[in-house]
Amino acid sequence: MTQYRVTGRGRVDQGTPVKFSFDGKTITGCKGDTLASALLANGQHLMGRSFKYHRPRGVVTAGSEEPNALVGVTRGKGRFEPNTRATMQEVYPGLKVESQNKWPTLAFDLGAINDRLYMLFSAGFYYKTFMWPRSFWDSVYEPFIRKAAGLGKAPTEVDPDTYASRYLHCDVLVVGSGPSGLAAAMTAGRAGADVVIVDENSEMGGTLLSEPQAQIDGIPAWEWLAGAVSELDALPNVRRMTRTTAIGYYHQNMIGMVERITDHLATLPEDAPRERMWRVRAREVVLAQGAIERPLVFDGNDVPGVMMSGAAQTFLNRFGVLVGKTPAVLTSHDSAWHTAFDMAEAGAKVAAIVDTREIVDIGLQDRAKELGIPVKLGHTATATKGRLRIKGVRVNPVRAGSAGSGHWVFCDALLTCGGWTPTLHLFSHTKGALDWDADARVYLPGRKSEAVQIAGAGRGLWGIGAALDDGAKAGTDALKTLGKSASVPSYEVQKDRIGTGVFHKELPTDRSPGKAKAFVDFQNDVTAKDLRLAVREGMKSIEHVKRYTTNGMATDQGKLSNMNGLTIAADALGKEPPQVGLTTFRPPYTPTTFGAFCGYHKGAQFEVTRRTPIDSWAEENGAVYEPVALWRRAWYFPKAGEGMHKAVARECKSTRESLGIFDASTLGKIEVSGPDATEFMNRMYTNPWTKLGVGRARYGLLLGEDGFIRDDGVIGRMRDDLFHVTTTTGGAARVLNMMEDYLQTEWPDLKVWLTSTTEEWATIALNGPNARKLLAPFVEGCDMSNEAFPHMSVRECTVAGFPSRLFRISFTGELGFEINVPARHGRALWEKLWEAGKQYDICPYGTETMHVLRAEKGFIIVGQDTDGTVTPQDAGIGWAIGKMKPDFVGKRSLDRPDIVAPNRKQLVGLLTEDPKAVLVEGAQIVDDPNQPKPMKMIGHVTSSYWSETLGRSVAMAVIEGGHDKMDQTIFVPQADGAPIKAKIGTTMFYDPKGERLLVE
Amino acid sequence: MLLINCPYCDDTLPELEFAYAGEAHIARPADPSKLSDEEWRDFLFIRTNVKGVHAERWRHINGCGRFFNALRDTVSDQFVTTYKAGEPRPEPKTLEAAE
Amino acid sequence: MTAHVSNLGDVTLAVVPPVARFNLRIAPGDLKAASKAFGLDLPAKVGQGAHEGDRSAWCLGPDEWLLHAPEAEQGTIVDAFAAIREKVAHSLVVISDREVAYGLSGPRATELLTTGCPIDLGRIKVGNAKRTVFDYAQVVLIRDAEDEWRLEVWRSFAPHVEALLTTAQRELASGL
Repeated sequence: MTQYRVTGRGRVDQGTPVKFSFDGKTITGCKGDTLASALLANGQHLMGRSFKYHRPRGVVTAGSEEPNALVGVTRGKGRFEPNTRATMQEVYPGLKVESQNKWPTLAFDLGAINDRLYMLFSAGFYYKTFMWPRSFWDSVYEPFIRKAAGLGKAPTEVDPDTYASRYLHCDVLVVGSGPSGLAAAMTAGRAGADVVIVDENSEMGGTLLSEPQAQIDGIPAWEWLAGAVSELDALPNVRRMTRTTAIGYYHQNMIGMVERITDHLATLPEDAPRERMWRVRAREVVLAQGAIERPLVFDGNDVPGVMMSGAAQTFLNRFGVLVGKTPAVLTSHDSAWHTAFDMAEAGAKVAAIVDTREIVDIGLQDRAKELGIPVKLGHTATATKGRLRIKGVRVNPVRAGSAGSGHWVFCDALLTCGGWTPTLHLFSHTKGALDWDADARVYLPGRKSEAVQIAGAGRGLWGIGAALDDGAKAGTDALKTLGKSASVPSYEVQKDRIGTGVFHKELPTDRSPGKAKAFVDFQNDVTAKDLRLAVREGMKSIEHVKRYTTNGMATDQGKLSNMNGLTIAADALGKEPPQVGLTTFRPPYTPTTFGAFCGYHKGAQFEVTRRTPIDSWAEENGAVYEPVALWRRAWYFPKAGEGMHKAVARECKSTRESLGIFDASTLGKIEVSGPDATEFMNRMYTNPWTKLGVGRARYGLLLGEDGFIRDDGVIGRMRDDLFHVTTTTGGAARVLNMMEDYLQTEWPDLKVWLTSTTEEWATIALNGPNARKLLAPFVEGCDMSNEAFPHMSVRECTVAGFPSRLFRISFTGELGFEINVPARHGRALWEKLWEAGKQYDICPYGTETMHVLRAEKGFIIVGQDTDGTVTPQDAGIGWAIGKMKPDFVGKRSLDRPDIVAPNRKQLVGLLTEDPKAVLVEGAQIVDDPNQPKPMKMIGHVTSSYWSETLGRSVAMAVIEGGHDKMDQTIFVPQADGAPIKAKIGTTMFYDPKGERLLVE
Repeated sequence: MLLINCPYCDDTLPELEFAYAGEAHIARPADPSKLSDEEWRDFLFIRTNVKGVHAERWRHINGCGRFFNALRDTVSDQFVTTYKAGEPRPEPKTLEAAE
Repeated sequence: MTAHVSNLGDVTLAVVPPVARFNLRIAPGDLKAASKAFGLDLPAKVGQGAHEGDRSAWCLGPDEWLLHAPEAEQGTIVDAFAAIREKVAHSLVVISDREVAYGLSGPRATELLTTGCPIDLGRIKVGNAKRTVFDYAQVVLIRDAEDEWRLEVWRSFAPHVEALLTTAQRELASGL
């Protein structure tokens, strides 16, 4: 048995030792221990170093609010986590733990020099100390801050764990499983409601786990608890979840919860996620989160061994560990007296109970006398002795607010209690009002904005009996809203510890308050003096004080420090706390892993990757992919030894000279169908559609109502009342949404319907002089001749036996076809064409070659050559506007003053003087490279490629008044070297007469 | 995550099924060519940006697909009510009576 | 896509064989004519399903229905609707290849869906269907029995959805 373990006490399995390592040393704990309880059982209070001053720090609490005992936990490659709370990490055989913020060792740390330089680090030191000289910033201050800042080490390897997520719907969600939570869950569960009860600890019970002395309805607390748990487990409508933290409370009773699944296990079961994020939608929520004990603020209150009295009680009663053998108690509340009694009964020699109050319940005083514990009422603490572990506390009597002369009380632990703060973080997330109770001097829940009940210590009630009754009432109230009813059970509790107390600002001292290191925020090393300094320097709101001092901004989010900080700041301002404000609580309640938020979205499932029916062929044939919208598209198909430029040059050449094959399946496709289809198309697109014959196709241009180009695509007329509309890949969903919007809300009288068929069809484009020769033998039901099936036509026929919509169109300037077949046949058709195409040296090409080929023809890409501020006239495609149409989306805007204004940026072609120079897309353009800087930019390059076909570079650009600047020279300044000279011209670089489309 | 009532489905469903679609009750003029430049500008660009109850459009895009209107309080982010496209904005009195 | 079945974690997950699948859009007032053409009374309320022999229909929106029939009957159905098009305006679009369907069955099938579906699945009655989301993908969920679902998703999203379902299935099997 370890030195501080009390045989027969606590809920841990003292017969099952658990060995783990702490800073390389083997430590033995018991099954059921947390890391903190196991270390304390071995007499180890020192668990870490503070953030700013590197002061030695011990564990302060026994729960998730712990600010000090933060450690690094590791279990093999990639499984390292910094800043794990020792109070929450359960021990398992083989657990490896290292302490943080120390060098070289925890007991001897060179960084503690900061502690001696503390004058440099007072409130706002970031803003003051590092202000000047300016040149010191990069070389001295920033490296220094970077080295000093941050808690623990960030993991450097990929996390191999998986994380899960779930949605859950229930009638009643109960957060917290202390007496009030259990009573609420049982009441609601018995009445048949779907109940979920969660607790962040490894077992349920809350306060009951630390108060075994109580008797509920005549049954000892732990026996009653076991009964309650098995009753809940027996109810099929109740879900009981431990190790699950409700981290955030969102609109309309949605609660985010993180379940820790494997962090307490010695071996990781296969496929088990490490954590699971639950998104719970509850019709009613009961918050039964209890209260957090508030530290007392006095010089030296951060020495290891100074801790919360409630934590000591938990370590003793739940874990069977005495945190000290000669502890002293320093308190302003009755509850710490019971800790002293419990410890004395367990064999500790309590050095003293020091209470700041003059008057304390006589029963408590009598019990102290019985146990032989010296009592000092009306005293303050003014100093502590000991560096790595407390050795004594200096206590002084207080008369009329000032401290008299002090003397030392020697102890090996100092258990403090400054009262209890109701835990209202989740309630605060809902923007529920927190009302200041001037008598109790705490914030309590006020006006609610959600269907929520707060029960027990969370609304300032004290004692197990009150908590049980209040929980039962909360459960009943929740049921009432659900239309269910239940009688409120009542509980009889004996040996309840109903107490009272007072709150303080920092305790009075007989020493210079300016020298006191009286800590308010342990994790961020903020002292009472820092807070008063912030007020003196003009911070008037608690929000400013917080940011100036960093009080409450550490990973514990001020669970221990906020109220003390507020009380001291309010005192310094001479105001009541509510006049100074309360900082906002935000999710998450406790630090949460990124993994829990990501859930399943990692690796290949990080986001959706859409794949075409032909994607697998491209993968097997060595395609390099590029992401386009959510799709991955084959970018180019390199042969051995080829980079992108070589591959693209070859693909371009093959396509222009013989035959290229391209997967165009990602193009958006919309079926526009109904008697008013033509009218609808006339209203949506700029082009006229009335006279487009069945079987013909037309380039369609879509504007926004503001007159700017939104999308384009080829549109085929299948029947009088049916159009096959294609859109850009990225625009598919947007265009359909826009069409639905007009149809549903502006023109609901039109009889026309829209259906996305993007994924119904696989689309294969064949381009090149041999395209028809390859395709014709596969086609049935369509005369493929130039006369019968001219450019810009569409037919329904079969291709290789598959039903098909066959377009004769071209985005390359070559003879071209686009074959649409039902998606499941896409790959089969591709392979047939591939095989047969070998006689023509068929070449698969990707999106890069597609871009080059279309640029050689001056075809625009919406979103590349246009940017949401380009009109059809700007883009040089005014011909696509149906001038006779009375109206279409965006028409009115084409007459807007700024649209018809001169000198708009217009799309032009650019040819560099040096044919080998390829401009960078996005590069800025000037007309005079010798003008003084900053130069006037007159436009930018939108598309730029090496054209293998032309043996030179080609580019497109938008340039102010570009259409009137033909043959003028412009310059593209370079980051290094001389500006590149280029001439403005047409965008039609290749085959301007379009003769290649007509190959026989 | 909000819950939104779709007036076409007559069901209250998670926000993930819906998409916001701008301010409501801004009808496209029957004949835009009759509008002055200033009137057309106002139609295109001028919105109320209200603090308080805002009439806005939503689409049940991952559900029934319909556009509908909603009154939502931009301060509390709570929906006051939803109603079908084409229906007039509910008067405050009607809302009280419905409660 | 190769049809395959995985049986794990109290759920059987399988790619459902193809069916003839249609998107029907028609004014609710003309529902009778459409019912006649399809050979079953189309349900009038969003979410409801109707079934007759091996044909099924579900109402997905106020003027939108999803129709299922055996593959071999695709042409017949197209013709039946074409015959009434002159008199009764509507849009019937073949979407047999647009989606891939997964079948999920077994005691934990519903739980498996809660890994990606934010809606309260308990509110979908047997025989009914609803368009919703699974993770980032739009899907149609069809409830065939208390513990039996079909999930239809656009083909290009299927690999993502399938990967998530199988990951979650393994997670269920892990028992944690």
